[in-house]
Amino acid sequence: MAGMEIDTVENLQRKQSTYQSLDETFVIQNETYRGQQYSQIYFARLHMMRTLLYSLVTHWKPHVPVCTVLGLEEGKECIIVGTLYKHMKLKPCILDEYSKERSAVPLVKHHNFMHPDDHLVLEDESGRVKLGGTVLSPSVYVTGVVVALHGKETGAGDFMVLDVLEAGLAPQIEPQLKSREDKYVVFISGVSAGSSSSNPLQFQLLVDHITGHLGDEKEQGIVAEIVHVVIAGNSVEIPLGLLNGQNLASKDQSRLSEPVQELDILLTQIAAGVPVDIMPGSNDPANFSLPQQPLNRWLFPGSRAYNTFRSCTNPHCFELDGVRILGTSGQNIDDLKKYSEGRDGLEFMERTLKWRHLAPTTPNTLGCYPFTDRDPFLIESCPHVYFVGNQDKYGTRILKGSEGQLVRLISIPKFCDTGMVVVLNLRNLECHTLSFETQFSS
Amino acid sequence: METLGILDEIEVLVSDKVQVVSYKWLSRNFLVSSNAAKRLLQEFVNTRGSGFEVVYTLSGWLKSNPSSYHIRLVSGPKLEEAKQEFNGNCSVQVYSVQACIPKDPAALWNAEFVQAEELFKQSFTVDNCLRDNRFCGIRNSFVKHNVDGPAASIAAPQPKSAEIPVPLKSNSGCQNISALPSKQTKVQQSPNVGPECPNLESSVKSERNGTGVHDLATKQTVDEEKVLLLPAGKKKGQGNRISSGNGGSLSNLWGRASAKSKLSSAQADNDKHIPNPTVSAEAQISACEVREIESSDDEAQGVNFKRASNGDNSRKRMVVFDYSDDEYEDAVNLASPELPKGQSSATLVLEKPHFIKQAEDEPVIKIQSNMTLCDVKKDMAADAAPNSPKRRKVLKTRIDERGREVTEVVWEGEETETNKVEAQDSKKEAANNADTNTANNRAPPIKKSPAAGNGAPSNQGSKPGNKKGGNKDPKQGNILSFFKRV
Repeated sequence: MAGMEIDTVENLQRKQSTYQSLDETFVIQNETYRGQQYSQIYFARLHMMRTLLYSLVTHWKPHVPVCTVLGLEEGKECIIVGTLYKHMKLKPCILDEYSKERSAVPLVKHHNFMHPDDHLVLEDESGRVKLGGTVLSPSVYVTGVVVALHGKETGAGDFMVLDVLEAGLAPQIEPQLKSREDKYVVFISGVSAGSSSSNPLQFQLLVDHITGHLGDEKEQGIVAEIVHVVIAGNSVEIPLGLLNGQNLASKDQSRLSEPVQELDILLTQIAAGVPVDIMPGSNDPANFSLPQQPLNRWLFPGSRAYNTFRSCTNPHCFELDGVRILGTSGQNIDDLKKYSEGRDGLEFMERTLKWRHLAPTTPNTLGCYPFTDRDPFLIESCPHVYFVGNQDKYGTRILKGSEGQLVRLISIPKFCDTGMVVVLNLRNLECHTLSFETQFSS
Repeated sequence: METLGILDEIEVLVSDKVQVVSYKWLSRNFLVSSNAAKRLLQEFVNTRGSGFEVVYTLSGWLKSNPSSYHIRLVSGPKLEEAKQEFNGNCSVQVYSVQACIPKDPAALWNAEFVQAEELFKQSFTVDNCLRDNRFCGIRNSFVKHNVDGPAASIAAPQPKSAEIPVPLKSNSGCQNISALPSKQTKVQQSPNVGPECPNLESSVKSERNGTGVHDLATKQTVDEEKVLLLPAGKKKGQGNRISSGNGGSLSNLWGRASAKSKLSSAQADNDKHIPNPTVSAEAQISACEVREIESSDDEAQGVNFKRASNGDNSRKRMVVFDYSDDEYEDAVNLASPELPKGQSSATLVLEKPHFIKQAEDEPVIKIQSNMTLCDVKKDMAADAAPNSPKRRKVLKTRIDERGREVTEVVWEGEETETNKVEAQDSKKEAANNADTNTANNRAPPIKKSPAAGNGAPSNQGSKPGNKKGGNKDPKQGNILSFFKRV
């Protein structure tokens, strides 16, 4: 006997949407590591971006000749295309760590490694040249960005920059089927299940809300319009003390697996109701270097049985009802924050889109796989929604491109700190937040 | 009235057992939907609310931040005050009742989570309310839960049709339907009917509109009940199939063990059909245990083995001959030494306090024969030659059941390919390694030092299979190996 009450209220049906994963570029498939260095990924990046920039340069300044770095002549205006390198005084260097052991002076740890003396250098396969002038601000750019520069060589051997051309937003494909009804996507990040600072009741409230347990009928009617959930990284926090390589006592072993199991139970509840994508983050049990490979499905023995559960790469790209959504768990933007300056996370996000590269600081300061023939972080098609997880606060903005592209930028705050998740409406790309509060003063 | 009964029970739980009764806990415990559970709690608060603390959920758009939909928990006394934060109407529902408000809000979550954990840990074949989300207010018929274990693959590009073909892998297609409503066919009502119930799908079909039309919902609810009952039966059948499948191999296991217990009689065991190495390992262990009982009888014999080896060899050779067939046919014979025909286990019992695997016995006998007297060895060789000309003595390193690396000299036969490989390689080494083996065997018997094992890596390098198959026979050194040196 099922013992189920038939409600007097009719049960709502959840809306559906078409999903297409575009993660193939981020999955490490046929790559083999033969001991190669990072020069190949830089070359692939330069090659692809330069082809693109050459085509843009003809429209930008058609009368100025293009040449390579070695082909620079003093005083002659020309355009050079290459990879920027920012020489940073405070950038941590392995030699400093070595000298730390030798010297008595302690090394100062910086949050942001910028220094007024930082300067930029442009490099292509023929050579490098130091950049001068005030047009290009070293605080904005980072190593790894490919740009076209208009200027001329000075007597001192520097290249005086007169103007800079970035690649700009990539072309955007209009979604073929414009949705006429409200359909929502929920973005969560930084759940940190198992962490002492996270409140499991808060996440449980979120799960209950999304799956339609909480709320009255009106609220549940709105919730039935949630078609997808994306969890952008840092979903578990395994106690770091257990990860120092020592053998674990049996009671500690359960402490190691409890956070993941707690997450699995909660994911099971979500997956039973709505499709969910989970991406790895910097604290998750996944590989370190980007692109992070999907979390092993056997970490989630309960949730993996559902066809609605997907373990995805970081970065993650997918299309929902024709709307292209691209995002990361935050490592790319966090690294930019360390090596450059910006107003807020959204500004860094905007820059990455304009540079057409998700993570320009790879592999310099952000770990990535030494690809030999491609750079998977190049943005070939501009997304409609671009999200970044594990940020300090929520932010959103629409970015307009020069060719009519429209991108919704979303900065997802850490759930364990803010209790906030972001809800996106696929119909008009508008965002609002969903926040949960469990502290009741008693 | 049923409701009254439930209300009474809630009262008992809250006051006597001091438990937090949240609506979720209530719904799972009494098998009612969440909405019904909330109503029950509300009724409880209305009729018997005095003396208990109530926690409410408040949800609505915030006044201070109009683009933020806020859901918060608030205790009874603070309800009115909290309502002010909201813009206009906010929905108020009872979240939980308890004897007193805990300091840490997360304590509200504990009872519910313990319940969730229990449901989660139930066998995969059970479809419980955690797994199919049956008590929520929103249905999603496109969710497929594969109860047989491996998940439905989602990598395949989604087909347009929502029909569910039998193979699991295309289940993901159901999740993604084209946007045109005309193409949407609801293939199944219940979210938890897996592909193993195709007949169910054909019988319960209805049009489903993706935008949640309410008038269909009642029909679906009724259908759902019907359907929910059926899959349970189906799944049980499935489960039975699976378990019987396992039972089959298990019965083989015991069958073999009982067969092995008849040691002296010729056993023409035909267990070639069990290729499963784990089963065979278990078979070995069980047979081992059986063997040990009777081999302990032979202990006395073992001590005198040296002297009696000549005569005994032939006798034991005969006995073991039967075993080797049994033992090695069901195991994946990656690296096993071919047992010398007619060797028994006796001597090994002396040194080993642990369970002795069958295979151990035979090679040890061989070692003994190797180590004791040269003439014995010659005899063996002579004997061996006419019986099975392809058998060789070879040095093998393997991992025993305790994970120790064991090096031993074994006879090997010609049954398996790996053995053949072994034979070719070890042919050259056998003579050299006979001596090194004695050195190895003189190493402490309980724990073979890695050096002993490493002493023969060159032999084993070309035979990686040996190490992998090492869960079979740990060959331990033989105390009598001392005597050879001397």
